[in-house]
Amino acid sequence: MGVGVCWVARLSAGQVSVLTAMDDSITFLHSSDWQLGMMRRFLGPDGQARWGQARLDAVARIGEVAAATGAAFVVVTGDVFEHNQVERQTILRACEALKRIPVPVVLLPGNHDALEPGSLWTSAQWQAHQPEQVTVLTGTEPLEIAPGVEIVGAPWRSRRPLSDPAAPGYADLTPAEPGTTRILLAHGQLTSLSGGMSDVPTIDQAALEAAVADGRLQYVGLGDRHSTTRVTDRIWFSGTQEVTSPEEDAPGNVLKVTVGAGEIEVEPVRVGAWHMVDHRVELFDEESLTALEDWFAELPEKERTYVRLAGDGSLALPLLSRLDAMIDAQGEVFASVERWAKFWTVRPAPDAADLDALQLSGPARAAMEELRQALAGGDEGAGAALSLMHRLARDAG
Amino acid sequence: MRLLSLALRDFRGVRDRIVRFPALGTTVVVGDNEVGKSSLVEAFGLVFDLPDDSKSTRIRDIQPVGQDVGPEVTVELTLGNRELSYTKRWLKNRSTELAVVEADGRRRSWTGREAHNEAERLFRQHVDPVLWQTLMVSQGQSLVLPTPADAEPLITAVTAESGTPVDGASMPLVTAVEHEYLRYWTRGGRATGDFARSEKAVATAELTAAQALKAMEEVQQDIRRAERLTLDLQDVTGRLTDHLTSVEELRERKKATDEILLRRDSVRHRAETARARLENHTRTRVERERLLDEAERFAKIDAELAERRSDAETVARTAVESVHAAEAALAEVVELKDARRTDVQEAERQVSELMDRAELDRLLGQQAELVDVRARIAAAGTVLDRIKVDDALVVALESARAEVVEARAALAAGVPEVSVRRLGAEPVELSGTGLDGGAREVPSELGFDESAEVLVSGELVVGVPGQVEVTVRAGGEAATLRSRVDEAVRREKDLLKKAGVKDVAAARELLRKADTATAELHEARRTERTLTTGGDPGERIAVLTARLGVGADDDVEAEEGGGKQPAVEGVPGQMSLFEEFASPHDTLDFEDFEVPVSAPDDLAGAQRALEEARDALAEVERLLGDAEFAAAQARKAADEDRSEAQQARARSELAGERLAAAVEALEAARDLLDDDAVSAAEAEATGEVEAVLEELAAVQEQADAAGADQIAGELTDALAVAARLQGERDTLRDALRTTEGRLEQSGRDGLATRRDLAELELAGVRAEHDSLQRRAEAARRVHETLSRHRAEAQTKYSEPLQSRIESLGRSVYGPSFRVWLDDDLAVAERELDGARLPVEALSTGAQEQLAIITRLAISHLVSTGESSVPVIFDDALGWSDKARLRDMGALLGRAGDHGQIIILTCMPDRYEYVPKATFIKLDA
Repeated sequence: MGVGVCWVARLSAGQVSVLTAMDDSITFLHSSDWQLGMMRRFLGPDGQARWGQARLDAVARIGEVAAATGAAFVVVTGDVFEHNQVERQTILRACEALKRIPVPVVLLPGNHDALEPGSLWTSAQWQAHQPEQVTVLTGTEPLEIAPGVEIVGAPWRSRRPLSDPAAPGYADLTPAEPGTTRILLAHGQLTSLSGGMSDVPTIDQAALEAAVADGRLQYVGLGDRHSTTRVTDRIWFSGTQEVTSPEEDAPGNVLKVTVGAGEIEVEPVRVGAWHMVDHRVELFDEESLTALEDWFAELPEKERTYVRLAGDGSLALPLLSRLDAMIDAQGEVFASVERWAKFWTVRPAPDAADLDALQLSGPARAAMEELRQALAGGDEGAGAALSLMHRLARDAG
Repeated sequence: MRLLSLALRDFRGVRDRIVRFPALGTTVVVGDNEVGKSSLVEAFGLVFDLPDDSKSTRIRDIQPVGQDVGPEVTVELTLGNRELSYTKRWLKNRSTELAVVEADGRRRSWTGREAHNEAERLFRQHVDPVLWQTLMVSQGQSLVLPTPADAEPLITAVTAESGTPVDGASMPLVTAVEHEYLRYWTRGGRATGDFARSEKAVATAELTAAQALKAMEEVQQDIRRAERLTLDLQDVTGRLTDHLTSVEELRERKKATDEILLRRDSVRHRAETARARLENHTRTRVERERLLDEAERFAKIDAELAERRSDAETVARTAVESVHAAEAALAEVVELKDARRTDVQEAERQVSELMDRAELDRLLGQQAELVDVRARIAAAGTVLDRIKVDDALVVALESARAEVVEARAALAAGVPEVSVRRLGAEPVELSGTGLDGGAREVPSELGFDESAEVLVSGELVVGVPGQVEVTVRAGGEAATLRSRVDEAVRREKDLLKKAGVKDVAAARELLRKADTATAELHEARRTERTLTTGGDPGERIAVLTARLGVGADDDVEAEEGGGKQPAVEGVPGQMSLFEEFASPHDTLDFEDFEVPVSAPDDLAGAQRALEEARDALAEVERLLGDAEFAAAQARKAADEDRSEAQQARARSELAGERLAAAVEALEAARDLLDDDAVSAAEAEATGEVEAVLEELAAVQEQADAAGADQIAGELTDALAVAARLQGERDTLRDALRTTEGRLEQSGRDGLATRRDLAELELAGVRAEHDSLQRRAEAARRVHETLSRHRAEAQTKYSEPLQSRIESLGRSVYGPSFRVWLDDDLAVAERELDGARLPVEALSTGAQEQLAIITRLAISHLVSTGESSVPVIFDDALGWSDKARLRDMGALLGRAGDHGQIIILTCMPDRYEYVPKATFIKLDA
């Protein structure tokens, strides 16, 4: 059981209401944005393979969490697959991972795997291998997943919806029967969180809250945002099961949701195993270089960690060589270590002492001096040339 | 390094030989071919290169042919401050021995492999291989110019000399840079190796990615198409369903109205039958009416035509009569016209005659005038003929007069002038000769109181009879003067006689008269010319008289005779032209001449008569035209009327026939059914038709009320629309299925994954390529920069070597000798006497000399260092002439001052000019 790690410490909003009466409550798991079949350029072939597998492993771990927590079912709110046209292997492996979830699973088509023409969900490949306990929400009719528990959903029918993508799920609903727990599954950005940058229609948060307030909905499970995010007590983004980008705040969780009469408890449970980290350093001397080395050394689970380095400063040629060597070596240890091209401005800073140390004379010395001056004059190419010449001279000497 | 001695035993053809070389100076080793000079050089190389157990063919080659002996070489040399003695024997009794004496006198020795290794180490330590190769010139290589740039000792030497910092550590760097550069670039600067492959990989990956992306774009398009098709399909399906419902409604309504239509059809059929019957009866009636009508009409026509026929015939007859009348009238007018024409001709003749007469009158007048003029001409001519005076004569006369006066004056002056006067009653007689009384005749006797003044040129006798006689005689000259006077008088008299006048004044008068007569003559002649301009009027008169026919010849003659009189009058003897026509009847007076005319004898009257006659003729001619026209008209009308009459007859006959036929047809029809029966049948049929139509109208009303007629059309239209909609739906469904099928396939193919993979791959190879590119660019930059600096430095290095070569060369070629070195410090060009040439263009001898000079220069440059090596020439200077040999010899000798020079040759005379050389002779 690799699910022992259940930490919520990193959540920005880890509210947990304690249920007083657990008798007629229902527990289920909420996940989203599995994006199976996703590729990450920065990981390299090996990293990509392992990370891809990790995403499937995390799905399997959701099954373990379900078993461990006694969840009645699992809902996945959109973007199960990266694309409608993923390769067969991805579909079949996804089916295998889903089979390992011992409870019913309800999948919602999202923007990546919309229920559009040619959709994966209507393909022979999916339908031939769809596990029995898995249901794909293709309509807005309520689905009674368990006695007294109704699931309504708003599947994406096109990658370019014309209006609030959640609205069709609850627009025509009347308040739930007493004793019935109604769960809305929806996918999309919230108007409040998208910052107005979304180019597709967003979900109207106020309307959602109103539907929750007047008892039409008891829980709203949202997808699309990869970070676990509490919108209100009853409206949550579960976030992706496994990190996909260093920008994500709290990825790698599944939400354990327990809904009782008038009360709710939501608990993020970690299922992801990977880390993607941005790190900013300023390099100007040996000490700063050593500090970077130490930082690398302290990171745990290096083989499942992607580091994106932003760097600034300037280094003497030997230090620059050492930095190159360090990053090169760490690249082997970590899943991937990348200089963040946009924010990487570490320059070579050759000083006379460096050159003297090489004991060069004559034309070689003159050539190096010329390159050094060119670099000082802002010629970037000269920096690389100078570093190379420095290395060659050192090795030749 | 200095070579001290070299000993060979059983080495190729050499049984046993030792050669010792002075450590400094020039040594010339002389030996014939095959004596083993080159073996010395070879042996030196082998002893350091190959251990004693070597199986190299180079060792096999040095074993003397056919002898199973081990070749042995012993070399003694200095390396640095050490002295080495190194012996090696190969193949048989193999052995290696090395003895080293250090500078401080320590002595060490090695044997076997150790000895070989130590010797090799020491050699490498002290001898730069490039320099050694450069300065050791094997047989046949003396032409090869040295390229010593990589000879470390030389570089060191020129560096020291040029003052450029020592570049000791840079050689490995240069190699490393070169190596690094060649990892990415060819020497030509094209990408190579992994870098080039990476470029290709990027291109390939880009292509793949673009294809995968395109495939995915097609998928997106298909999705959008499918979405659109789905919407369209829903729309069409909805419309189709609605439409089919309305089609069904239409079908129901149609069923209900079909019964009414059936009934209407039956009634309509009956109506048509009745209508057909009615038409039949009507046709019969109409036919009967037509027959009746025709019979009546034809009868009428027949009557009409018969009448018309008789009219026409009457008209035709009348017309014939009219023609006759017209023709008679025409004949009368023609006759009248002839009469009138005769009148006109008569009038014309009269006018013409009158005009001729008038003309004749005029001509006769003219003739009379002409006769008068000619008389005047003749008169003037006569006057002129009679006057003999002319201008010249008058002048002569005047001159003669003047002479007379002059002569007289002279006489008067030259002779005594005697005045005689009678005073008394007694006569005084005057006589004598040569007397001149001046203007008066000298009187022979003086009256009383008469006096005479006489000029006496001869002798004057004045006597009073009986009383006195005085004789006066003139002097001597008086006779001459007297004769002059006489002469002048005589001449004057002659002239006066010739002129027919009595004195000059008369002559002048006569001359004036002649002028007047001449003027008159001219005037008369002019008038004559004017009168005869139009020809001789006589001819015209003859013609006219002939034409007039009146006055016969007699009359004319009489007339002319009458006209002649005034012309000849007063001019007797003048022969006139008219005299020829003179006749005895000249008494006939012109006034008697009359033209016997009956008509008015004045011209105007005659012309008036003519005009009148002409008018009468024109009138008659007009009448004639009218009559002719009337006759033609009458004839034409008669023709027409006749033709009309004929036609009328034909028509009348035809009408008669037609009438007969019509009557016959009518009778036949009546035999079948009489006229009343026909009308009755028609009336009955009409009643029947009206009844049926009434019924039909009732049924139609019902059908209209039910809209029966429209429903069928509506249904057809609706079905057509339904078919179209179905077609549309099917098309959309097919298109959607096709698109979905394609999308299904895209899903099966995992096109998105493929695209992602392709992009991943592309990003990977791009990253790798970028990295390689950065490194490649860096390598190029370093290579370029270093090469440039090296080239610059080498230019500086080359100066010491260049100046050394030039200083040596000038001793051979003189002060104009110069050289230029390339980057490898090899001589590239030579200048002599201002001519600069690349070395390849030089003569063989010059090239060899330049090669030797360059080596000596290099040797000289490095001689001060520990790295110096001997310069060895194996047979050189084979291409130099005597003079050069001398200079080169001197050079080689001087070179010995700074180092060890060894020359191997079979031609010792080439080197006889080398001063201070040691000659070693090798014998076979």
